[in-house]
Amino acid sequence: MKEQQSGIEKRILAVIQEGLPGSRTPYDGMARRVGISTRKLLEILKQWKQQGKLRRIGAIVNHFKLGFSAGAMVVWKVEPQHVEEVGQMLAGFEQVSHAYERDTTDNWPYNLYTMVHAGSCEELLSTVKRMSKACGISQYKVLTTEKELKKVGPRYITQ
Amino acid sequence: MDELDKKILNALQYDFPLSERPYQVLAEKLDIAVEELWNRVSRLMDEGVVRRIGASFDSGMFGFSSTLAAVSVPPEKVETAAAIIGEYPEVTHSYQRSDEFNIWFTIIAKSEGRIEQIIEQIRSALSLDKSQVLNLPVKRLFKLDARFRPQGGFMADEHRGDCRC
Repeated sequence: MKEQQSGIEKRILAVIQEGLPGSRTPYDGMARRVGISTRKLLEILKQWKQQGKLRRIGAIVNHFKLGFSAGAMVVWKVEPQHVEEVGQMLAGFEQVSHAYERDTTDNWPYNLYTMVHAGSCEELLSTVKRMSKACGISQYKVLTTEKELKKVGPRYITQ
Repeated sequence: MDELDKKILNALQYDFPLSERPYQVLAEKLDIAVEELWNRVSRLMDEGVVRRIGASFDSGMFGFSSTLAAVSVPPEKVETAAAIIGEYPEVTHSYQRSDEFNIWFTIIAKSEGRIEQIIEQIRSALSLDKSQVLNLPVKRLFKLDARFRPQGGFMADEHRGDCRC
């Protein structure tokens, strides 16, 4: 039984990773491809949502077309004991879409990462300056986005 | 793009209804006819403003591993490197960035071992030194909210790429 369930989960992931069909009843098309009823599909998705496995279903927009022409990954070097506080503070900026703490390596000392978006380069840099001032971290680096080389939805099932 | 388009874009980016008739639910929320909503959503998709309606998962809860990786390649090798990296279905995003480490990419794979294997294959295909490659898995998530409020007026077709900091 358990195995059967995970088989369905796998099939749902394989279908949903391509995005919802551009139709007025997108779940019907998905359910057909998974081989279950629309009701069953919605039931599982709601359950995933409740469990936190499904974060969100929603439009993935082209943010450049919405006026966010400048973007950068800003990396910060923060003392371990301040990471929680600084991370929360930087995440609070509405211009920040992603904020993570990551491992460091011998040749890469930065441990906090923020994706920052703005309408122009000037605006981006002034936002980063405000962020730096607010959290008191002066060791940071702005890695601007020069080119999008690949962007697809996450591929969970690849075989 | 008018005010209603912007309202629709905001609504579409929030929780897309888990309902047999999601556009009906959204139309009621926005207090517009479902035909009007659907026509506009179709247009925004045709124009490429909406890339797709997608689902975002906590990949770790499904047993997958993920990371952010980077390589440092000479400018003349960027294109080749981008092609090699982009070929892996496990690579979901890749960007050229203004740094010595100039190509950054995210990997979602079935295990950490597979991630290490992919990175090692890329490193060897590009004849890079170990110091020219980064593997930076997440330790803590503070925010993940890739929703964008439409800005006033200005629409760029793509990234302008003239930002030097």
